[in-house]
Amino acid sequence: MKIKAQVAMVMNLDKCIGCHTCSITCKNVWTNREGAEYMYFNNVETKPGIGYPKNWEDQEYWKGGWQVKGGELSLRSGSKIERILKLFYHPQQPEILDYYEPWTYDYETLINSKRKNHQPVARPRSLITQKRMNIKWGPNWEDDLSSGESARQDVNLKKIGEDIALEFHDLFMKYLPRNCNHCLNPACVAACPSGAIYKREEDGVVLVSPDICRGWRHCIPACPYKKVYYNWKTNKAEKCTFCYPRLENGLPTVCTDTCVGRIRYLGILLYDMDAVLDAAKVDDDKNIYPTLLDVIKDPSDPAVQNAARESGISEAVIKSAEISPVYKIIKHWQLALPLHPEYRTLPMVWYIPPLSPIMKKVEDRVYLPNSDAMRIPLSYLASLFSASDTKVIAKTLQRLLDMRTVMRQKEINAAPPKNLEFEILEYEKMYRLLGIAKYADRIKLPAGLQGKSHEELRKLQGSTGYACPLGGCN
Amino acid sequence: MNEIFFGALPYVAITVLIVGTAYRYSKDTSTWSTKSSQFLAKSSLKIAGPMFHLGLAMAFGGHVIGILIPKFLTDSAGIDEHLYHIIALAGGIPAGILFFLGFFLLMQRRFGKARMKVNTSTMDGWLYVILFATIATGCFATLLNATGILGDFNYRETISPWFRSLLMFQPDTSLMENVPLIFKCHLLCALTLITIFPFTRLVHCLSFPFEYFGRSHIIYRRK
Repeated sequence: MKIKAQVAMVMNLDKCIGCHTCSITCKNVWTNREGAEYMYFNNVETKPGIGYPKNWEDQEYWKGGWQVKGGELSLRSGSKIERILKLFYHPQQPEILDYYEPWTYDYETLINSKRKNHQPVARPRSLITQKRMNIKWGPNWEDDLSSGESARQDVNLKKIGEDIALEFHDLFMKYLPRNCNHCLNPACVAACPSGAIYKREEDGVVLVSPDICRGWRHCIPACPYKKVYYNWKTNKAEKCTFCYPRLENGLPTVCTDTCVGRIRYLGILLYDMDAVLDAAKVDDDKNIYPTLLDVIKDPSDPAVQNAARESGISEAVIKSAEISPVYKIIKHWQLALPLHPEYRTLPMVWYIPPLSPIMKKVEDRVYLPNSDAMRIPLSYLASLFSASDTKVIAKTLQRLLDMRTVMRQKEINAAPPKNLEFEILEYEKMYRLLGIAKYADRIKLPAGLQGKSHEELRKLQGSTGYACPLGGCN
Repeated sequence: MNEIFFGALPYVAITVLIVGTAYRYSKDTSTWSTKSSQFLAKSSLKIAGPMFHLGLAMAFGGHVIGILIPKFLTDSAGIDEHLYHIIALAGGIPAGILFFLGFFLLMQRRFGKARMKVNTSTMDGWLYVILFATIATGCFATLLNATGILGDFNYRETISPWFRSLLMFQPDTSLMENVPLIFKCHLLCALTLITIFPFTRLVHCLSFPFEYFGRSHIIYRRK
C-alpha cells in the first residue's frame, strides 16, 4: 500500500442553477489572454446537449481515454508508434471551429458614430483574425435548450435509445459544470511525447510544464473530457490548474469559491497508488466505479495513516483528510459518482446526481417519487455517471430521497420512514453537509500543502519567501 | 571566391548552427516549437503536412546517400554509373514531387487562410523564401543533370568529395571549380538555411521525442 494525497472535488448537481459564475470567474483569472480566448477551463453545459467542444463525449470519433485489450490498458488513440506517426497530421485533433471562434464587438462605434437616422450597432469582430465575422456557435450556444437543434445529437441520448425522451411532455434538462478531473490515471499525461504533463505528488493536481511542452498536442485528443486546450499564440498546451497557487495556501479553487449555488466541495482524499492501475483495467466498465471506491482509503484508519506518514505525507494533510467533506460524500455515503467512469481515467471530480421533478404519469398525490419515477431518465444519468449501470444511480438517488423524507418527517413530527440504509443521525449529517453547510464546512484544505500551518505562514509575511545565498533577504 | 564560398562559409554556417542552437536551447525553450497550425486550419493540412514531411525525409536520405557514400564503394559493389542514376532518379523524382507539391500546398494554406496569417511571423516569411529557393534550385539542378544538358558533369566526383573533405577539415575547394552554377546556387541556399536554422521554427526537428518510447505512462513530479 502506497498512500498518496489527492485534492478532490464534489459537485452537487441538485443545487446547480446553471448561472456560469464558475466559468466567468475562472475565465477572468486564467484565460483572458491572447491565444486563450476560446478556452474555458471550467464550463457549464446544459444536458442533453452536445457540449463544449462539440460532441466531446463521442469517443468513437475522438478516441479519448483508455481501453482494455487482452487485459492490458492502452490509450484509445493508439500505440506510441501510431501516435508518433500522427505528428504531421492528427485526424482526431479538434480545431478552433469544434469549440467556437472567439469574438468581441466593435463597442467604439457606439460612442464614435456620427449622428444618423438609426442607432449605431456594435458588430462582432473575430478575436483571432480581428476581422468582421458572423457568429455561428459559442461556448454555451444551446444553453437551457434541452430540445435545441443539437440536443438530439447528445451521445448519451443515442446510447439510451429513447426517442421519446425529447417529446414535449417528457422534456428534461440538467446542468453539468465541468473542469479538469485531475484523474488518478490521466490519459493526457500518458499521451504527452515530451513528458510535459505530470501529476503532482503532493496534491494530485495535473499540470502542464510549459518549458517542456513542444506543442505536439497529443494530450488534447487523448483527454476524453477535452479539458486540455491548445494556445494558438504560444503554441503550448494549457489546462485547469485546480488553482494550485490558491490550494497551496489552503484556499479553494476560484470556481469553488465563487459558486453561487454553493454546489462545490473540496477536500483531501487518501488513495492507494499501487491499486490505481488495477482499477483502471477492470474488465467490465460497470466495475470501474466500485473498484475506484476501493482505491480510496479510510483516512481515520490508523494503518492508512501510518502508510501515509511513510510516504511522506504531512500531518496537516492527514488531519485534513480525516475531516474531508468529499470523503464523506464519495466513500462514506456514496452519494457522488465519477463522470464517465468508462473512460478509465479515474476522475477525481465527482458529481452528486440531481433529483428531478416527478414525472407526469406518476400520481399527483405522491410527495416524493421513487428514484425511477423522476423526469430525468435513470438510464440517461447512468450513461453519464455509472457506465450505464442504472442500479447505481437508483441507489444514489434513493439515498438523497430518503434524506429528504427523513427531514420532512422530522419537520412534521411524524414517524421516520422504514427500511432506511443509515441511522437517522447519518441522514441529519448528510442534510447538514448537502443542504446548509457553510464555506468552512464545504472546503477543508490543509493550510499550505507544504505542511506549513497558518501561524508559520504568517511568520513569512513580509519576507521574500526564500533564503538568499548571501543572506539579508529577510 | 571559391575559397570563401566553399572553403570558409560552410564552417561559418555549421558554427552558427551549433552555437546558435545551443544558445537558444539553453536560454529560452518557450518558443522551441513548430508552432502547429492544425488548430487554426485543419482540413487543408491533411494531405499537405504528411506529403511535405515524407518528401523531405526522402530527399534528405537521398542527399546522405549521394554525398556520404564514395563512388568507389558503389563501383566495387557492382553498381555502375547508369544503374546508380536509375536508382537515384527512382527515389529522387518522387521525393522532389512530394516535397515541392507539399511545400506548395502548405504555402497556399499559410497565405490563403485568414486565420493562418495571424500566426505567421516575419522570420517564417524569410524561412519560406529560402526554403523555396533551396527546393527549387535542387529540383532544377537534378532536372538539368538528368536530361544531360549539363554535359558529363558528375556530382559524385566533385561535390561529394568536396563535402567529405569539409568533414575532414581539409577543404579542397578546387573540386568545386567546374561545378555548374545551378548546383552552386543550391549549395549557397542550403548554407543559408543551415545558418538561419537555430533562429527559425525548424528547430522542432531536434525535439523528436525518442525518450517517449522508454517512458512509463504516468509521470509524477514533486513541486
